[in-house]
Amino acid sequence: MMGSLRAYDYKAAGGKLVRVRLTEEEGKVKSVQISGDFFLLPEDSLPTLEKMLEGTALQESDLRKVIGRFFETGHVQSLGVSGDDLVRALLSASEEMVAAD
Amino acid sequence: MFERCSLRVRRWWQLTETWRLIDLEYRDNPFLNLAVEEAIPRMVGEGKAPNTVRLWHNSNTIVIGCFQSALLEVDFDACKETGTTVVRRFTGGGAVYHDAGNLNYAISLKKSHPLVPESDLQLVFQKLSEGTVQGLRSLGVQAEFQPINDIQVNGRKVSGAAGSIRWGAIFHHGCILVSSDLAILGKVLNVPKIKLAEKNVASVQKRVTTVRNELGRDVSTREVQTAIVHGIEASYRVRLEEDELSKEELALAEDLYLSKYRRPEWNLKP
Repeated sequence: MMGSLRAYDYKAAGGKLVRVRLTEEEGKVKSVQISGDFFLLPEDSLPTLEKMLEGTALQESDLRKVIGRFFETGHVQSLGVSGDDLVRALLSASEEMVAAD
Repeated sequence: MFERCSLRVRRWWQLTETWRLIDLEYRDNPFLNLAVEEAIPRMVGEGKAPNTVRLWHNSNTIVIGCFQSALLEVDFDACKETGTTVVRRFTGGGAVYHDAGNLNYAISLKKSHPLVPESDLQLVFQKLSEGTVQGLRSLGVQAEFQPINDIQVNGRKVSGAAGSIRWGAIFHHGCILVSSDLAILGKVLNVPKIKLAEKNVASVQKRVTTVRNELGRDVSTREVQTAIVHGIEASYRVRLEEDELSKEELALAEDLYLSKYRRPEWNLKP
């Protein structure tokens, strides 16, 4: 079964842009691409987050748990975007059927 | 009195360290330019190179941040029309446009350098923009650091920075719009509408400025380069001494060029 494509450009409170392109299947993340002009250290951690999100229910508490674990276990530092922004960007994307921009 | 003065001079001298100044550039090969940009902090972090400032230029190029989607950020038709190359850097942040009227600077310091003792990227941007701000002010441009990573003049961006803390190094680089062609810049970057709306301006051209616009006269990147060198020396109490990359650094840059920066898989990641 093909998932449905969702897209959303989210303006983070820190001023940066989070661009989410996700495929949803049965209320869960099938695959997700997160891009934008924010900063994350270490830089190679973003694919790890995208992988960790696969299979996660598109519910605030589930997303918050996974993203919290990502920051904690990977000792990730972010600038211009917070874990809360990422949760909101993903939730906003899950409600959007039409590609942004 | 004399003794007190001489003591002060001695203290000043003792505080002064020497950093290496590199002006190696490959104007017509932005891929190699970005490979050199990565090779330097790697070697500084390993203790195989001294703290370094690099000043350099690119010909028409869009440099996108490492987390950006090339497909979303770049207008490829406009790039083709204007002969603009797209290359991805290893640091985060937003897309910038480089041409011969743009001066790039990069500062690589050994991690835990007293200027930025903590691993805090915001502090890196703030501290390592100071030399550029001071250099621009010495030219008469009323530049100010604007968090997170910009230098602005009257609310318009004249320089953007990016950086990282990795490989045992602190790295900060930025581009200064000296006399860049803002019309091309407006064409080749797809600035998302949400970003422009937030800044309350209609186009990318209206939220950026150049040193030339601010001074109201022609100014060369060479003149700005001299001012930035002096700004860095004065801000951080360092002496910049011109030098060259070591053979090992050049070999690393070439490796990075071949394995990463000249590859579409790296530059054009969707």
